[in-house]
Amino acid sequence: MEQFLSSLSQLFEISHLLFLFGGTLLGLTVGILPGLGGTSGLALVLPFVFGLEPSHALAMMIGVLAPTTTSDTFPAVLMGVPGTSGSQATVMDGFPLSKQGMAARALSAAFLSSLLGGVFGAVILSVSIYYAIPIIMTFGFGEQFLLIVLALLMVGALTGDNFVKGITACFLGLIIGSVGSAPITGDPRFTFDTLYLIEGMPLVIVGLGLFAIPEIVGLLDNKGAIAKSLRIERGWLTGIADVFKNWWLVLRCSTLGCLVGALPGLGGTVVDWIAYSHLRQTSKDTSRLGKGDIRGVIAPESANNAKEGGALIPTLLFGIPGSGNKVLLLGGFILVGIEPGLDMVTTHLDLTYLMIWSLAVANILGAGLCIGFAPHISKLTLVRYYILAPVMITLIFFATYNVNRDWYDFIGLLGFGLVGITFKHYGWSRPALLIGFFLSSKVELLSYQTQAVYGLSFLYRPVAIILMVMCFATIILLLRQRFDAGYDSRLIKNKSKQMYLSLLLMCLPLAVMWDVSGIPDFRATLFPIGVCLISISLLILIFAVQLADLRKPAFAGGGFLRFVNTNIYENVAGFNNQLYYYLSILGYLAMNFIFGFPIASVLFINLFILFHDKRDLKISLSISLSLLLILWTLSSLLTLQFPNGLLGTFIDMPWWLGGELN
Amino acid sequence: MRNLVLGLLISCFAWSPTVSANLDLSGKTVTWVVPFKEGGGTSRFARFLQPYLTKYLPGNPTIQIQHIPGGGAIKGSNYFQKNAKPDGTYLFGCSTSVIVNVATGNPLVEYNLGAYKPVLLLPQNTHWFTRTDLASGTSDISKLKERDLVLYALKTPASADLFHIWVFDKLGIKKARPIPGLSSSAGYQAFLRGEIHLSSHGAANYVKKVKPEIESGKVVDIMTLGIVGTDGSISRNPLAPDVLTFPEMYEKVNGKKLDGADLEAFYSIAAAWAQASKSMLLPEGTPDAIVEAYRKAVTEMVNDPDFKDKATKALGPYPLIIGEEAGPILKKAAIFSDSTKEQLNAVLKKNRFVYRVQ
Repeated sequence: MEQFLSSLSQLFEISHLLFLFGGTLLGLTVGILPGLGGTSGLALVLPFVFGLEPSHALAMMIGVLAPTTTSDTFPAVLMGVPGTSGSQATVMDGFPLSKQGMAARALSAAFLSSLLGGVFGAVILSVSIYYAIPIIMTFGFGEQFLLIVLALLMVGALTGDNFVKGITACFLGLIIGSVGSAPITGDPRFTFDTLYLIEGMPLVIVGLGLFAIPEIVGLLDNKGAIAKSLRIERGWLTGIADVFKNWWLVLRCSTLGCLVGALPGLGGTVVDWIAYSHLRQTSKDTSRLGKGDIRGVIAPESANNAKEGGALIPTLLFGIPGSGNKVLLLGGFILVGIEPGLDMVTTHLDLTYLMIWSLAVANILGAGLCIGFAPHISKLTLVRYYILAPVMITLIFFATYNVNRDWYDFIGLLGFGLVGITFKHYGWSRPALLIGFFLSSKVELLSYQTQAVYGLSFLYRPVAIILMVMCFATIILLLRQRFDAGYDSRLIKNKSKQMYLSLLLMCLPLAVMWDVSGIPDFRATLFPIGVCLISISLLILIFAVQLADLRKPAFAGGGFLRFVNTNIYENVAGFNNQLYYYLSILGYLAMNFIFGFPIASVLFINLFILFHDKRDLKISLSISLSLLLILWTLSSLLTLQFPNGLLGTFIDMPWWLGGELN
Repeated sequence: MRNLVLGLLISCFAWSPTVSANLDLSGKTVTWVVPFKEGGGTSRFARFLQPYLTKYLPGNPTIQIQHIPGGGAIKGSNYFQKNAKPDGTYLFGCSTSVIVNVATGNPLVEYNLGAYKPVLLLPQNTHWFTRTDLASGTSDISKLKERDLVLYALKTPASADLFHIWVFDKLGIKKARPIPGLSSSAGYQAFLRGEIHLSSHGAANYVKKVKPEIESGKVVDIMTLGIVGTDGSISRNPLAPDVLTFPEMYEKVNGKKLDGADLEAFYSIAAAWAQASKSMLLPEGTPDAIVEAYRKAVTEMVNDPDFKDKATKALGPYPLIIGEEAGPILKKAAIFSDSTKEQLNAVLKKNRFVYRVQ
C-alpha cells in the first residue's frame, strides 16, 4: 500500500508527468486519425524509448495507449468513421446523434464514460495484481506453454475475417520469428550469413511496417472521409447528465470491457460490439437504438477504455500480449530491461503501480483534454490527409533510423509495409502475424523446456486442463455467435488473386525449411520445420477451399466446410491505389540514399504536398522546416547521427546533415 | 648495448605520466561505443561513468554513448574495430559476451580484442544456490550429486553460460542437465516454482532477490566463483563470506587442489566471466600517452567522494581494476588455451550439444 501511494507521488514528478502528457497527446492524435490507433502510435514511440528511465518510458507508452479509444470518438460522432477499430459501435448511435444536432451531447457522454471505464479498468488491474503471486507461481513451463499456444489460436481465430486464414497468419508469424539465432543452440537460421538477421527482425520494424505504413497509405487512399465542416453546439452538460443517469450501464459495460480485454485476441476489435449487443439484450426499450440513442454511445465507450486495464493483466503477469499494441508494449518493456512475470509483482512492483496510475491519469487527462479543447482537437479531423501523410512517413523514417541506425532496417520496413498492405487487402490478419512473430521464440523455448521438465505429463496438471477447456469453450462460443449471422463469402470476384496469394505465401515456409534443413543440431531445426509443415498444410487447405468455392449449393450440407469457407475471399478495396502511394515511400527512401535524411525529408514533404495541391507551398515549406527543427532537437537529445547519403561521401557535410562529428 | 640503453630510456620517457599532458580533448566529443541495447548492464555502466569522465578527462570533453546492438554484440564490436580512431576520441564498452564471442572463436568476429588497451575493468561475481530441501546446509552438494536429475538454466551453449556446464561437470554432479533458453531471471523464476534445482545470479540480483529467500530459509547458498586477485590468489566473496568458493568446493569434492589444466581453465573462465565482466577499452594502436591520460582520469574518478558514494550501489561491491594489471586479465579472458578449449568441448559433447568452441 505504501508503494502504491509512493508510485503516485513519483508519477506527479514533473518529468514523469511530461512524458505521460506527451504520450497522451500522441495517443489522442492517432486516435482521431481514422485507421491509426494504439499500435501505430506505439510503434512510433518505441524507438525513442531506448535510453529512457524505465518509469519514464512506461508512463509515455501507457500515455499513448490509454486515450486512443477516447479521442477516436471525434471522427466516429462527427464523420461517422471510427477513429480506431474500438469505436465502430460508437458510430451506430453517435453519428445519428450528431446529424440531429446533438454532437456535443454525444461527445461529452462518450468522453465521460471513456474516463469512467478507463479508471475502472485501472482499479480492476490493481486488484488483480494484489492476488497475482500465487497465480504466477502455479504457472510453470507447461501452463505457460499452453497459455501461449491458446492465446495464439484465439488471436488467429478471432482477429481475421476467416478463422483458418487467421490461424495461418499466426503460424507464418511464428516462422518469421524463428529467423535468427536458434534460441536453444545458437545456430543461425535463415540469416544468409549476415549479422543483421542474427537477432531476428527488430520488432519495431515489423510493427511499423505491418501497421503504420498500411494505415497511412490507406488514409491517403481514403480521400472521401474528410469532415467538410464541424458543428459542435451546446449540450455538453446534457451528455454528462446522461452518463450519470446510466451509471449502472457504465459499470456493467466497464466490467465487460475488462473481462473481454483480458482474453487474448478479442481486445481491440470486438469489445465495443460486445458492449453494444449487451445493451441491446438488456434494455427494455430498444426502439431508438441505432437512430441516436445516447446509451448506444455510453456502452461501447465505457467498455473500450476499460479493456486496457483488463488487457494489461496477461501482459504484465505472463508476458502474453492479447493484441498488436500489447506486443509493442512488451517490446518496450524489453528495451528498458523489464521482464514481465513475477518481477512485476515483487521487485518491480513500483513500476507496475506506476503503470496503473499512469493508466488512470492518462484516461482522466485524455478525457479532460477532449472535453476542454473539443473545438480545437476536433479540427484535426479537418486536416487534409496529403498534408498529414508525408509528415507521418517522415516520422516513421526517423523512428526507423533510431532503431539500429542501419540501412537494412529500411528494407525490412518497406518489405513488411508491403506485406501489411497485402495482408490488409486480402483479409489476412496482421495482429495474428505480429503476435506469432513476437511469441515465436517463446513458443519454441517453452515447448523444449516443458518437454525437458515434464514430458507430456504437463497436460494432466489441473491448471492445464482448466486452461484448455476455458479456451476452447471461448473460441467455439465466439465463433458460433459470430457466424450464426451467416456463412456467406460475398467477395468472390478476387478468387484467382486470393489463390495466387495463398500459393505465394507457401514460398516462405518452403524456403525456410530448405535453408534450415542443413543445420546438424535437431534442436535448432525441429521447431521451424514443425511450424513450416503446419503452415504448408493450412495453406493447402485454404487454397483448396478457395479453389473449390464451397458456396455452391452442392456443398450446402457440410457445416464445417462452409464454416471454413466463410469470408475466405474477403478483401478491402483500393489495392492498386495504395501500391501507388507505397511507391512514393520507396521514392523517399531513394532520396534518403542520395541526399541523407534531413534534405530528403524537406524535399519529400514539399514535393508530396505540392503534387496534390500546388497552392500549398507556404504550408509545405513551413511544415517541413519546423518538422526538421523538431527532429534536430530530438536527434541531439538522442545522440542520433543521421546516416550519410551518397551526396555526403562526395561533399563534407556538417554533422547535422549526416557528416563527421569531430 | 647502447641501442638497448637508448631504447630503454625512450620507453621510460614514453611511459612517464607527464606525457599525458599532451592529450587535450577540450571541445571534442568522445564516442563511447556500446554494442548493446540501451538499458542493458553495459549501457548502465557507461552511463554511470559518463559524467565523471567528462569531469576528469583533460579538456572535459562531451561523452556521447553510441549504442549499436545486434548480432549478439558482434555488430557494434565490429563497427568499433573499423571506425574507432586511436586518438582518444573513441571508447569501447566491453562485456563478458563480447569477450566470449572471441574466446569461443565465433567466425563473425572481426574485432581484435586482445590488442585493445584496457582503461578500467569492473568485476562481477556469480553465486550458485539451491533449495533448502536439496542440500544439508550451506555449501553442500552431496544431495544434489545423488539425485537422478538436477536441472539448471542455460541461455545458450554459445554464451558465457557455457561455463556453468564446465563448473557442474568439475564438481561431479553427473545428472546435471541444462535447460536451454532461460535467462538468469527466467531461470530464477522457474527455480522458485520448483521446476529447476540449481540456480545462479550475479551480485546485484543476489542481494535483491536471493538474499531474502535465504533469510526465510527456502534457499541455501552452494558456492561463489570467488574473487581472483592479480597474483592469482582466490578469496571469498565479501557478499557471502561463509560460502565456499569454486576452488574450495572443487577441493572438498575431489579431494585435491584445483591445479593443472583445470586451474588454467578456471583462471580463463574467471577472467572472462568475473574480472572483466564490464570494461572500458581504448582501440588498438592507441598511443601509451593517451592510455595513461585515461588511466589517470579514472584513478582520479575513483577517488572522487561523490563517486565513492554512489559506486557501490550502481556498480556493485567489487573494486574496479585500473591500469597495467587489467591488460593480462583481458588477454586471459579473450584468448583461451587449447587445453581449456578441449575441456569446454568435452563437456559440451557430454551434454550432447553440437556446438563447439573453435
